[in-house]
Amino acid sequence: MITGKKHTLTGLQLLIYVSCSFGFYLFPGQVNSGGLNHLIPTDDAFDCYACHKVATPKIAQNWYESKHGVMLMKCFVCHGQPDGKGSIPWTVSPDPKAVCQKCHDPAMKRMEAKFGINPDCVKCHPFHQNSLHHDAYKKTQSKSQ
Amino acid sequence: MKLTRRDILKTAAASSAIMALNGSLPMLQDAAAAEPDKWVKAVCRFCGTGCGVMIGVKGGKVVTVKGDPNNHNKGFLCLKGALMPPIVYAKERVTKPYIRKNGQLQAATWDEAMDLVVSKFKTALKEHGPTSIAYYGSGQALTEETYLASKIWKAGFSSNNVEGNPRLCMASAVGGYVTSFGKDEPSGSYEDIDAATCFFIIGSNMSECHPILFKRVAARKQADPNVKVIVVDPRKTNTARIADEHVSFKPGTDLAILNAMAYVIIQEELDNPRFYGKYVNFMTNDKKKVDFKAYQKFLKDYTPEKAEKISGVPAEQIRRIAKMFASASGTVSFWTMGLNQRIRGVWANNLVTNLHLLTGQIGKPGATNFSLTGQPNACGGVRDTGGLCHLLPAGRLIKKASHRAQLEKQWGLKPGTIAPKPGLHTIALWNAFSEAKIKAMFVLCTNPAHSLPNVNMYTEGMSRKDNFMVLSEPFMDAETVKYCDVLLPPAFWCEKRGVYGCSERRYSLLMKAVEPMGECKSDVDILLDFARRMGVDPKVIPFKTVDDIWDEWREVSSVTPYNFKGMTRARQEKESGIRWPCPTEDHPGTKIRYVRGEDPNIPKDYKNKYWYYGYPDGKAKLWMRPYAPAAEEPDADYPMVLTTGRVIDHWHTGTMTMKVPELKRSFPKAYVEVNEDDAKELGIKNGDNVELETRRDKMVFQAKVSDVCRPGLVFVPWYDANLMINKLTLNAFDKGSKQPEYKICAVRIKKA
Repeated sequence: MITGKKHTLTGLQLLIYVSCSFGFYLFPGQVNSGGLNHLIPTDDAFDCYACHKVATPKIAQNWYESKHGVMLMKCFVCHGQPDGKGSIPWTVSPDPKAVCQKCHDPAMKRMEAKFGINPDCVKCHPFHQNSLHHDAYKKTQSKSQ
Repeated sequence: MKLTRRDILKTAAASSAIMALNGSLPMLQDAAAAEPDKWVKAVCRFCGTGCGVMIGVKGGKVVTVKGDPNNHNKGFLCLKGALMPPIVYAKERVTKPYIRKNGQLQAATWDEAMDLVVSKFKTALKEHGPTSIAYYGSGQALTEETYLASKIWKAGFSSNNVEGNPRLCMASAVGGYVTSFGKDEPSGSYEDIDAATCFFIIGSNMSECHPILFKRVAARKQADPNVKVIVVDPRKTNTARIADEHVSFKPGTDLAILNAMAYVIIQEELDNPRFYGKYVNFMTNDKKKVDFKAYQKFLKDYTPEKAEKISGVPAEQIRRIAKMFASASGTVSFWTMGLNQRIRGVWANNLVTNLHLLTGQIGKPGATNFSLTGQPNACGGVRDTGGLCHLLPAGRLIKKASHRAQLEKQWGLKPGTIAPKPGLHTIALWNAFSEAKIKAMFVLCTNPAHSLPNVNMYTEGMSRKDNFMVLSEPFMDAETVKYCDVLLPPAFWCEKRGVYGCSERRYSLLMKAVEPMGECKSDVDILLDFARRMGVDPKVIPFKTVDDIWDEWREVSSVTPYNFKGMTRARQEKESGIRWPCPTEDHPGTKIRYVRGEDPNIPKDYKNKYWYYGYPDGKAKLWMRPYAPAAEEPDADYPMVLTTGRVIDHWHTGTMTMKVPELKRSFPKAYVEVNEDDAKELGIKNGDNVELETRRDKMVFQAKVSDVCRPGLVFVPWYDANLMINKLTLNAFDKGSKQPEYKICAVRIKKA
């Protein structure tokens, strides 16, 4: 079982690294936006998870098994969309004020009251790895693992 | 495109070198959200969960939303709720009135549009009487809007042709509650989730259709791993991810499974004779009161083994889930369209309730039978205020003379003003419009040219020249816009004030956050203007503001068990939702109905703990409903079953969610989900084009091959206006609830 912070950072680096490479090599019409390269959204590029379970399997699997994965809080809700033309900024590290606050405002306020302002929620809360049910999910885990 | 991880990683090093040459990439968007000038309290525009939202407004524009921490959702939103702002400013917004001239919609003034509407309605009334006009509303309209429209029609025009899309989604749940308890609406609340130890989810993909409630169920299971989740669904949906038991069955046979569960519960002596002996009447299908022995005899046709033959569910699994249901300290059942959109919808509802009545899993924290509603205000707007053709406000019925007389007195009408005959139900109404027997129709906040079953039949009728349709619709690309004669621009969601009432009887006020766009007006103002121009007696429609309508509704409900008297506007502005009954201003609202000490309709010193006051003897009814097949079972010509539903990313006809770039991109078009074994047999691969053909129409979809559907079943989501699956669905309906059977029809499929 991979845990916590260290893996998150590795995962994020991997996301940047591989998603850039993936897009650049295989899709010459890539888009450069939001500091990232990614393949141009095509008709068959609508399912982030479908590609990322191959491109960045650890991140994809962590998301799938996380609370966000079980609740189907999909990649674009936090990261925006690759062409940068969505309503959420296209970024690896979502801005808590822009994104996390939509659901976690009460928790953010509690944290702020307790520890002062820390703009980086992810440092302590690895959102891709906050698993939900542990053993309860064994039977239903992704086949891609 | 097929890529392995290895292929991708092989390219990574080389391409990263090229990336280095490119240098850093500019950010196109500022990631930091602008801090809003103010946060305005409202409710989500989508499903019947009714999550509280705070709308962030800056410079008079909606810039963001967040969950309302004080409402039941405790600050959480699902992905649709979190992405609402772009919908408000979609380029497709209708911002001025239009009149159809020579087949084209042309911009008009409000006066021109309303004059034409009124002349058409007046002509119809004069030449053909009150049965020739109709209102077709929505479970997304505000409570005040539906109450007003219903009153204009029933009191102002003596016309009971008042219907709405809740007939297509919740009518069987209404029928179920009313036949079982004598009164509509769930008796429990969302708080039951936190106390339950077993969840029985049947005919509901909660995870995608009511995500925030699913989150609460999942959190409950996380808190206590002994909590059991049973998901009964012929599709292995995302909801089944947290299931201890996923029960896959032949579509339509759930009635046999539910009866077999009752059989097992009695056989295992997990029933609760103290409860049903005192509080339940056993009823045959033809409404005769019988005893428990007769029920046992009825259940002999539903041994688990017999049910296995009908449903394909192993007898052992039926035994296991029946025992889980009955032996838990508290069982909550949830259901939605899988039970309701069926020709046996009312029966299916009754059979779930039977299990609660048989076991006493009802009326205590964590034990309740809970129908989840699909729209944000189907319960609060349409069911409660009587916005259907057979209903009057607060659970009263048109066919009952005493109910009509009571309301006529409350409304200050001359006796006999309300017509004694119910109007036409949705399918009959649209049939009549298609035959131009309904001459003038007012459609508000709904998209019937996309949402009606077997829709070709009705769009053909809408295209006629000898009937008239006025449509109040915020988006120009809604399918029904193609067929309307006059298009009115309504204020949208955050641009108006009023109430939404969600599945748990919770009513929350949506405060106006921003001014309406262009020439848009709130539907309340549109309807008040319509009534005035139609010459409706100002004493009947005396309202000046939306708050006046709410105050009348509070009074009208206060003589019934619905009782909203204590839910004042001042309270609603402060509080994030209150559950009815709420008889006084200091009443906190009601968590559990029909229970002494909880339900304010029951005196504190009442002799019994439970009182099902919907029936004169205070007892609920347990109905012996047999298994009966669907209206159109598969056969040699059409050997598979087609079912329809939602995906989490889209809502209803997609007129809102398709305006959010992320949601549109996530599911840009409808697809057909095919079981992997069926796909293999038919030579269909993932992504292939597949033709679906029913007796109504045929259409080509891209295939998604997976193990979600059971063999013999295909699923198509219904949001896509370009691939409207409702051209293929069936308009057969439940003879009790009049709700159509969207969930089952026969289909044949082949590679296109």
